[in-house]
Parts: sequence; C-alpha cells; structure tokens
Amino acid sequence: MLPPFELHQPDDVRTASALVDRYGDAATFYAGGTELLLIMKEGLAAYRHLIDLKTISGLSQITYDEDAGWLSIGGTATHYALERHPVIRRHVPIVAEVERGVANLRVRSVGTIGGNLCFAEPHADPGTLFLTFDAEIDLASHEETRAVPIGQFFAGAFETARRPHEVLTCIRVRPWGPHTRGAYMKFGMHERPTLGVALALTLDAGRRGIEDVRVAVGCVGPAPVRVGDAEAMLTGRALSEIGPHLDAAARVAGDAADAVDDLHGSAEYKREMIKVFVRRAFHAAAARFS
Amino acid sequence: MEFDQDITVAASPEYVWAFLWDIERMARCIPGCQSARTVIAGQRYEALVVERVGPFKVQIPLDIEVVEVSAPVRLRARASGRDAGMGSGLQMQLDLAISPAGSQTVLRVHSNVAVTGRLAVLGHSMIARKAGEIMTAFAQSLKRELEQPQADAATL
Repeated sequence: MLPPFELHQPDDVRTASALVDRYGDAATFYAGGTELLLIMKEGLAAYRHLIDLKTISGLSQITYDEDAGWLSIGGTATHYALERHPVIRRHVPIVAEVERGVANLRVRSVGTIGGNLCFAEPHADPGTLFLTFDAEIDLASHEETRAVPIGQFFAGAFETARRPHEVLTCIRVRPWGPHTRGAYMKFGMHERPTLGVALALTLDAGRRGIEDVRVAVGCVGPAPVRVGDAEAMLTGRALSEIGPHLDAAARVAGDAADAVDDLHGSAEYKREMIKVFVRRAFHAAAARFS
Repeated sequence: MEFDQDITVAASPEYVWAFLWDIERMARCIPGCQSARTVIAGQRYEALVVERVGPFKVQIPLDIEVVEVSAPVRLRARASGRDAGMGSGLQMQLDLAISPAGSQTVLRVHSNVAVTGRLAVLGHSMIARKAGEIMTAFAQSLKRELEQPQADAATL
C-alpha cells in the first residue's frame, strides 16, 4: 500500500529545489511516478514529501534551437511525447523509434524522460541511446545550474551525478549529421530489457569508409557505457572489409560492458549476446544508408 | 558474499590490536556508521549503520558480538540487524587477523555478508558490488586511521 505523503506542487525549479533542501531525506522529486510510486508501494523507499515537477511551466517542452543546433528535451516530457513529437521525429527520429519500444503504453503515457534518467534503473533504454549523441544533462537547483555530459551522469545502478536537490531541467541533444545513421537493438524476456546496444555510424561522403562510430551498451551492468575501445577498432576502416574488425570490436564491447549476473541471465551469457547485438546494430545502421 | 582485504599499515601489531578495541575510532572507519556504543566491553557492542543506493536508504541497528579473541593476532565477531521499515536484514561475520610484516603490520579482513528481505530486489550482483565498495572503503579508512600520527589520534 502506498504510504501517506504530502504533495507539493511548486511553480518553478528554484522553489522545487528549495523544498527538497528544506525536507531533506524525507522529500524527493516526483514526475511520472512510474518507478517512484512502485518502490514506495513496495516499502523500498519512504518519502513524506513528494515535490511534483509537472506543475512547473515549460519543463516538458521539446524545442530545436536552429542557431545552436541543439535539441532541448524538457525533463518532464513523457516517453509518449518523445515518441510523437514532430521536432523529435524530424531531427532525431531514432529517439522516437526507441521511445516507442519503452515498457508499455501506460508507462510511456505518464513516465518522463527525466525520471527515467534520474532513477537510473539499469534495465532502461534511453540512457544508452543518448550516450551515442554525447547528450548533455542540464541540472538546476535554487543555488546554481550546471551541465553534465551524459558520459559522466550515470554513476552506477540507481545512482547518478545529480544531487538530491537538483532538477533535471533538460537533455540537450545535437542531431547527427547527414552522413550518420544509427540503430538501437535490444532484447529481453522480462518486462525490462536484458540488453540494449546503440550504435551511430558515420561514413565518408563516398560511403565507403568509416569516419566515426559510437557504440553504447546498456542494461547488462550497473549503468550504460560507451565502449571507446570498440569504436577505435572500427573507425577509419573500409566498410567492405569490416567483417573481422567488427567481430573483434564486438568481442571488446562484450568484455568492456561490465555485465553482471542477475535474473536476466549470467554475465557470460550477456557478454555473448552483446557480441551478437553489436554486430547486428552495426549492420542495421549501415543498411540505413541504402 | 565473501570479501577479503589485506591492509598493510605502518604500525606495530600491538598498536593495531589496541585500535580494534577503540570503538570510537573503529566506528569512524565503518562507512555509514552513525553511532556506536559498548554494551559489554570486549563482548557486545551496538552500532547504527545507514547506507544509501540511489533512492534506497537502509538504516540498520546492528548487534555486534565478539565470538573469538586471541590477543594480539585474531578477532572474530558477528553482526546482525534489520531495517524494520524496509523489511530487510543483514548478517555479517567478520574475521580479523593480525600478523607482523617487517616493520609493518598486515591486518587481514575477511567478511561474509548476507542481505535478506525486500532489499534483495536490487539483485545479488548489485548488492555484492555495493557491499564490496563498502568493504573497500572500510579497509581504506582503517589504514588511514591506523596510520594517523598517534599524537593526532589521541586528540580526536
């Protein structure tokens, strides 16, 4: 049963942040509630004060800044909004594609992107994808605002660089260029994904050589990770001779992803599956050039 | 979950042995230890430990019982407690062995930790990883505390 709590509905980020400071450990932010309310019902967390972020005007906005070349996704934008929003579909269609596969319609309708990233449940899709964009996370409190590269945001299972009184105000994403295609591939036997691989592939103008590759692996360990060693093994290679290099890079990704044993499978099994899915994601991204 | 740490410190075995019985200084080395007190000197102690993993906060009052003392080389203890709110329990066996190594001393810390109840929803691997981090932090704090200049330590 959900324990009683007081719901605060501030109008702005500064007030929301100050409320968390005022109530300390007894308070936390509340956005979609799809994770928070579950753990409260299970008795795994107890908060007497929930600070609702959905009443803050503008915090769910999704906009594109032509001059800066940034897409700004508000922290309380729902998964469903990301899936459907014309700005997302136009500039970063893979985000809409991935969001369409998040959990189920009920979760997507109320769950927010900020909540998803801040809760940092290891078996989640968006963080892995945003790693391939080198997204930036804007955090604001009543004291300061700061931007954290997403590569430094996830600190472990359920842990991030966000301080308790900081609100995730937006995720800033620079869309890929015209010579980049991406793919996100996942699988799982439970409600949450067992494994997710995001890959962004940039080819030269002739589409024969690989200019850049970004590979991120999520769900298998405490937090999603970019696999720089695997990326380096592919960058600069000719697409026509990629086979053995891709096999080697996939092996490196499997070993580097920090897989752990859990109900989804053994670490060894996950490492094997990462190899398979890195190869599949690469081929899926490459196929999108044709 | 079993953990082993070897801590080499620039102190004598006798100094390390005496340190193990200094509850205030030992408490400072235990990550998340909010308070500690002696119930029966040399036999039973109590401590309150608070640890957090993201939104999950665990607050466990621990009963610590000394089960074997072989001065100044070995101390075994067991600790257990339960977070009533979260419905989760912790049982721990701690085996501390002291041996000289030249002018230094090696303190071998072996622990066997079991977590039960709702907290297990986090998964064994996640809990084992966190417990490992805690044990590493404990070992680092012990080394730091033991190697403090003794005059400074005495004033704390």
